[in-house]
Amino acid sequence: MSKRAVDAVFQGLYLLTDIRGVLRDTAPKHKLSSEQKTETEKIIGKLERQIAILKEELLA
Amino acid sequence: MNCGEGIDTRQIDELFINLDPIQAGGRLTVDAMKAVLAYGDGYSVCDNCSKPFRLDCIRKPPLADFHIDLANFLHMDTARLVPGARRGFQAVADVMVRPFDPVLLTAYSHYTEFLAVEQAQGVPFEIPADDSGIITPDATAERIEEATRTTGKKPSLLFVEQVDYQYGNIHPVKEIAKVAHQYDIPVLCNGAYTIGIMDVDGKDLGADFLVGSGHKSMAAPAPSGVLATTSELTEKVFKTTKIKGDLTGRTFGVKEVEMMGCTLMGVTSVGMMASFPHVKERVKKFEYQVKYANIIANSLLLIEGTKILSEFPRKHTLTRVNTTDSFDKVAKTHKKKGYFLTSALRDRGITGILAGSTRVWKYNSYGVSEEQAKYVAETFTAIADENGLSGNSS
Repeated sequence: MSKRAVDAVFQGLYLLTDIRGVLRDTAPKHKLSSEQKTETEKIIGKLERQIAILKEELLA
Repeated sequence: MNCGEGIDTRQIDELFINLDPIQAGGRLTVDAMKAVLAYGDGYSVCDNCSKPFRLDCIRKPPLADFHIDLANFLHMDTARLVPGARRGFQAVADVMVRPFDPVLLTAYSHYTEFLAVEQAQGVPFEIPADDSGIITPDATAERIEEATRTTGKKPSLLFVEQVDYQYGNIHPVKEIAKVAHQYDIPVLCNGAYTIGIMDVDGKDLGADFLVGSGHKSMAAPAPSGVLATTSELTEKVFKTTKIKGDLTGRTFGVKEVEMMGCTLMGVTSVGMMASFPHVKERVKKFEYQVKYANIIANSLLLIEGTKILSEFPRKHTLTRVNTTDSFDKVAKTHKKKGYFLTSALRDRGITGILAGSTRVWKYNSYGVSEEQAKYVAETFTAIADENGLSGNSS
C-alpha cells in the first residue's frame, strides 16, 4: 500500500480542480489578473510536487 | 475528449459564460467538484453508518450536523435531503392531500407540483397572477373561497413559489401564507429559485413546508434538494415506519416512510454539503448578483423593440425577455434564421439560451462576475449593432 501515492493522486486532482475553478471564473477569455496568475503559478508548483511524489512512489 | 465511451467531456462552464435558466445556481463550487472526485462511488457516505442506520444520523462525513445546519439556515425546525425539490413536493402532497381534496397551486407552479397533486389525487385550483405577473394575497383568498365553494371541502394544501420559473418574479409569500393560515390551510413554499441563492427565512415567510433544489440553486450535483418543516409537522411528514413482515416479522428501524428510507447516499449529499459553507456566504451577496442582472437587462432594453417581461428593475437573476420586435426581425432575413442570435453569442463565448430563440426567451445570470456581466451586456448590444438594429446601443 502506498498511502503517499494515493494522497498525491487526490492532492493532484484537487489542485487541478482549483485550476478548473480559475478557468470557470475567467471564462470565456481566460485572461487572468496578476493575482490569479500568481495563485495559478503556486498551484502548478504544488501540482509538480505531487507528480514528483507519484514518480518516486510508483516508478522508482 | 471523452470521459467514457461515447461520452464527451462537458466543458460548458469552463469555456463559456453559461446563462442557462436552470443551470446557473447549480454550478458546483470548487469544493463540491473535489467532493465529487472523492465520493463518486455508489454508497460512498455509508462507510461509517451505524445505528440507527439513517442518512441524517451519519457523523462521518458530517451529515448529521449538516441536516441540523440546513434547518437552521432555513429558519425551520427539521430538514431532510431529498432527490430534488420534486421529491419534496411529492412527500408533502402524499401526507397532506387525500383523494379529491382541493389543492391550491399558482399560475406559475412547476409541473412537478402538479404531478405531486395528481399522484395524491388532489384537485388543482390555480391562483392567477395579476397584470404585473405577481401572485397576490387577494387572488389567493378568492381562489380559496372558490375551491371551497366548488368542492364543498377546504383545500388541504397551498403551493406557492417564492420566485417563479417563468419570469423570475418575487411573490409575496408571507402575505399569501397569512391568508392561507386564516383558512387553516398549510403552505408549501417552493424555494427552488431562492434557497441557496438568496437569504430565505421559512418561519418569517410563514411556510409550513419549505422546499429547495440542490442542483438548481445550492451548487450541488443532481438530483438533490431539501425539504424542511416545522416541529408541529415533523412527525407527520417524516413519520417512521411501523410496518412488519407477516412471515419474517422483520421491522425496519427508524426509516422514514415518505423519504423511502435514506435519500442521497453518495456524491449528491456530499457535493451539497461541500458547497454549503460557500452557499451560506453567497446568499449574503445576492444584491450584487441583482446588480449584475440589471446591467444585462438594461443593455437589452437599449435595443429598440426589446421588452423585459419580468418585473423591472430586476430583483432576481432569472429574466424573461421578448425580442420579437428586435432580434426576431433579424432572424427573418438572416442566413442562420432563428439560430443567428444564439450562434453569435456562442461565437463570443456565451451560451445557455435555448438554441434558436429570438422571440420570448429566458436567461439566468446568477454567478457571473461584474466583468462577465458587462461583457454579456456589451455582447448583446454589439450583436444588435452588427445586425442593423436601431436603438441607443452604440
